[in-house]
Amino acid sequence: MSEPIIQIKQLQKTFKVYKDHKGYLGALRNLFERQYNLVHAVDKISFDVQPGELVGYIGPNGAGKSTTIKMLTGLLVPTSGEVLVNGYIPWKQRKAYVKNIGAVFGQRTTLWWDLPLRDSLDLLQHIYEIPDDTFQQNLGMFREILELDPFMETPVRSLSLGQRMRADLCAALLHNPTLVFLDEPTIGLDVVAKQRIREFIQFLNHERKTTILLTTHDISDVAKLCKRVVIIDHGKILFDGHLNSLLEFFGGRRLLVVDFAEFYPEPSLGEAEIIQQDRNKVIYSFERSSISASKLINQLSENYRIRDLEVRDQPIEDTIRRIYEEQLLYNHPNGKENPSS
Amino acid sequence: MHAFFATIRTSYRRQLTYRAANLSGLATNLMFGFFRAAVLIALYNGQASVNGLSIQGAITYAGLAQAMIGYLSFFQWYELMHTVYDGQVGSDLLKPMNYFSYWLGIDTGRALGAFLIRSLPLFLVFALFYDIVLPPTLLHWLAFLLSLVLALLISFSYRFMVNLAAFWTPNALGVGRFAFGLSWTFSGFYMPLALFPDWIAQLSRVTPFGAGVYVPIEIFLGIVAGKELLNRLLLQVFWVLFLGLLAHFVLARGIRKLVIQGG
Repeated sequence: MSEPIIQIKQLQKTFKVYKDHKGYLGALRNLFERQYNLVHAVDKISFDVQPGELVGYIGPNGAGKSTTIKMLTGLLVPTSGEVLVNGYIPWKQRKAYVKNIGAVFGQRTTLWWDLPLRDSLDLLQHIYEIPDDTFQQNLGMFREILELDPFMETPVRSLSLGQRMRADLCAALLHNPTLVFLDEPTIGLDVVAKQRIREFIQFLNHERKTTILLTTHDISDVAKLCKRVVIIDHGKILFDGHLNSLLEFFGGRRLLVVDFAEFYPEPSLGEAEIIQQDRNKVIYSFERSSISASKLINQLSENYRIRDLEVRDQPIEDTIRRIYEEQLLYNHPNGKENPSS
Repeated sequence: MHAFFATIRTSYRRQLTYRAANLSGLATNLMFGFFRAAVLIALYNGQASVNGLSIQGAITYAGLAQAMIGYLSFFQWYELMHTVYDGQVGSDLLKPMNYFSYWLGIDTGRALGAFLIRSLPLFLVFALFYDIVLPPTLLHWLAFLLSLVLALLISFSYRFMVNLAAFWTPNALGVGRFAFGLSWTFSGFYMPLALFPDWIAQLSRVTPFGAGVYVPIEIFLGIVAGKELLNRLLLQVFWVLFLGLLAHFVLARGIRKLVIQGG
């Protein structure tokens, strides 16, 4: 395996959150003595990212995602721990480091609000000192794939959110970054616009071999794009591994949807539990590890008359919600102990 | 093209897109210019000169000061502060460009645009209505242009630092109001400094505000010449260097604050 492009060891960021005394006298006391709580926004996390990977970095609001990204991009200095990205310590060698990375923050724009899109892109050529031929080649390609032509001469202020996001993606990639941080790139977009952004991310990773760390709270982004997910909550990593193994370990339950040929008041079925019944249509839920679908189907056909049936995996959104809710911890299969467990 | 000049060009273009703002700014500055000229004429009450300043000189002073408002923007500027509060600063710090140079580029573009469509037209209109004084020699013209450039650098470094207060406090507007009150008062903008009591005039002249606003006007009016003119330019150079270095120092501290305690 080649050298990881991102190496994170025991990374920690602690903020002081001041507690204010209450009341009028308290307000006066605040001027002289202030008490604070220490909040571990990121609590000793470790993980590596290999070149060419597309990693989904997910967690609920306030989990520590943004704090991590800020440290990885050099905008925050950690309280302790090590980060090496592209061979740089981000916050120490910022100017040299940022030349080879790209970043898109879905809630903001790097584009000049009041000028046509073209002006912002032209300026980036000079800021990143991109050679003319590279610039023209990249711009030509992104204009085509992201369909920027209809609004190249439109002031950014007048673009729709989806258009603006495509423009921001283009802006972040003109200088051929080897590593790109995408922070909520689909936030607020409609289904069609989301799909376009996802296809582009896929293209970027597959065709251009760009390493991507995708932060999102939209789990369907991750389900569609990433093989590997890292889940963080309360500053700790809850899971780091293959999306499929996430399903095996946590998505233990599967659904069996049965359409009976006649109405049965309580069509019980061994270990499976009925979670929904609508006339002849019944949905069972069962533990993947304790019983196989084929066994259940056999039992069913022995006892009842069936018109149709279907086995479904529990949607990944549900699985991940369960992980958040139950704070399930899971140690890496490759022996890397999760430091927080 | 160098990133700095590309930034100037982009910012200049942006400034030209603000048509309504530029026009209303021009109209306001012009109206107050006429108003100030009228007050000065009443104040002079027929005297040819007061404290060595002729009535034409005083009126030219008013026109120049009004014209420089848009260009120098010395009395109000919160652009950088806004980017700190809306989070844009993060993207700006991720650009492989010195943060000070980046903003200097933005501000120079803004100043160029404002000079062309606010300052220059205003002064030309003023010259149509009043009998004004022009620089006495070619050297004065050149020195005036140079001092305008230096004045912008002084004004920028000062405003840059004032805006950096946003790195420390969640509402730096108060800091800004106070700081811009200072620049307003001591720049000699209200009234020709020559008309003030001597000690205030002397004090104002050596502040960065006097060096930014009053010095270019003095040179334009031909009040200073020879060695005195050189001294005025040197005073400006001093403030450019001093404030520029101070701004870099404050910036380094500000970034450290930002990256250690978060945005």
